Amino acid sequence: MARLTIPPQELVHPGHAACPGCGAALAMRLLLKGLGSRTVVSVPACCWTVIATPYPTTALGVALLDNPIESTGASISGIRAAVDALGLPDVTVVGFAGDGGTADIGLQALSGMLERRTNAIYVMYDNEAYMNTGIQRSGATPEGAWTTTTPVIGVGRGKPERKKDIMAIVLAHRPVYAATLNPSFPEDFVRKVETARGIPGPRFFHIFAPCPPGWRFTSEATIEIGRLATDTGVFPLYEVEDGRLRITRRLSSLKPVEEYLSRQGRYGHLTGAERERIQAQVREGWERLRREESVGPPPGPVRPGVAATSGPEPATVDSG
Amino acid sequence: MIEIRFHGRGGQGAVVASELLAQAAFLDGKHPQSFPFFGVERRGAPVTAFCRLDDRAVRLRTSITRPDIVVVLEPGLLRAGGVMDGLPPGGLLLVNSRDDPARLPAPPEVRRASVDATAIAVAHGLGTPMLPIVNTAVLGALAAASGAVRLDALERAIDRFVPARPAQNRAAARDGFGAVRLAPAEVAVRAPPVRAGRTLRAGLELPDGPLAVVSSATIATSAWRTMRPEIDLGRCTRCNFCWKFCPDDAIELNAEGYPVVRLEHCKGCGICAVECPPGTIAMVAEG
Repeated sequence: MARLTIPPQELVHPGHAACPGCGAALAMRLLLKGLGSRTVVSVPACCWTVIATPYPTTALGVALLDNPIESTGASISGIRAAVDALGLPDVTVVGFAGDGGTADIGLQALSGMLERRTNAIYVMYDNEAYMNTGIQRSGATPEGAWTTTTPVIGVGRGKPERKKDIMAIVLAHRPVYAATLNPSFPEDFVRKVETARGIPGPRFFHIFAPCPPGWRFTSEATIEIGRLATDTGVFPLYEVEDGRLRITRRLSSLKPVEEYLSRQGRYGHLTGAERERIQAQVREGWERLRREESVGPPPGPVRPGVAATSGPEPATVDSG
Repeated sequence: MIEIRFHGRGGQGAVVASELLAQAAFLDGKHPQSFPFFGVERRGAPVTAFCRLDDRAVRLRTSITRPDIVVVLEPGLLRAGGVMDGLPPGGLLLVNSRDDPARLPAPPEVRRASVDATAIAVAHGLGTPMLPIVNTAVLGALAAASGAVRLDALERAIDRFVPARPAQNRAAARDGFGAVRLAPAEVAVRAPPVRAGRTLRAGLELPDGPLAVVSSATIATSAWRTMRPEIDLGRCTRCNFCWKFCPDDAIELNAEGYPVVRLEHCKGCGICAVECPPGTIAMVAEG
């Protein structure tokens, strides 16, 4: 029997209300494997409110609080204060919000939580639109993607604007740890969760969450599409600890973005020129990431007592 | 704290009954709270309203799931189920009914009371004979059966807050107060136990546990799928990829490390079949 490469503990119960093939459902399952049972999760209005809590049931084996869509950051600051007042320092506090509730509606609360240095983990699971309410575009919807509010009709060519760079916004607040996670890479995913769990202070995960109904693909392709997102450079995997950026899935060459786009109906209308523009943007983003990795951290410690050092660690993973 | 849950049908005045009781309790010097269940608002549909009365500020903001008193404005609702949910031994059930309270369908350890509020309402011209507004007669009966509020406070609240026919409504409350019939619990019970809510600080009551405590595993999602995974265990290498990538926690590993599909929860997404490295999982049409 093969050794288990991720923890056996299950803290997401079956019977939840996620769509078949839901990337966000797998994201929560992997997240709680890495965090364990001493965890409190705060969920705003998003798909996961509906997934977890058809009353009177709960899909989580840990405490779960619902909060208003704009207030996840404030909510976890409050929960952290309560947990500390109760003398429970070993409890991990997590906010688990969608891309709309993070990059758009909850942005100020996220910024406040990071600035207050709340000892908690903020998760943005990114299915790249307001999926719970019916596939309306969000600030995290990528350029060119079809949604119900960026239709492909008349002059409409999908979303005209580019995707917000939430990691850049978060990193401007100097969190102690921030990373991109992808459930198609469970070992890398859980390792980052376990790393972050051991670092007190404000932490952030940007989790890729493929959405079969919203992205217009069939449910069995969720893991493949997630893998393609990383291996084409659309969603690179990296982590930033104390200001030092490290790519955790190192690629000697990127696959063509077309392999990723062609699997999803939301990009079906794109012309060759539009696809080339996306390819150029992806390549530029990847190069920028590699530059940032080689440049090293900004001057000054992020955490008291942690000296900033320069230069990347040696690469550990390679994949073609 | 006394927690009272009202059950009625849309148009009978259950929500107003709960609010009037709260107003009366306030005039009586208590700290009341009243709010309706947030749900479908439709005439004739079952309606639930909640009322809490205490001598100090009520901090709870949740629906009442373990009432001390259940008030039923329409006896047909007793058949609907859910009406007596959470009513403890020694709790009080008050029903608008012509029946002898001893004949009310309730667990034997519950105290019962009945009042023919429909007849009282009709006699005082409240509502129509088809849809009499029974709430004030029922509140009078509640005052007598429970002592939760004094009749004179109830009458003052009716005067101040009932816009139509206050005199008739006051009379209905007095009639209800006098007409209520009581039956003790059929089995002896001790006084209701003091609620074991976690008290962190004086005046702050929290529920005993999470509000939703039933696992989603009690919900079968098998009807979602049109295809089911079938695993050829003879070729399975026990790599556990299928288990690792299942978004529904619908695959478990047995003691030997072989995958077992929980068919009651599998939604048939097909991820396991695509991700299985040796291709031992086939998606097979259901039915």
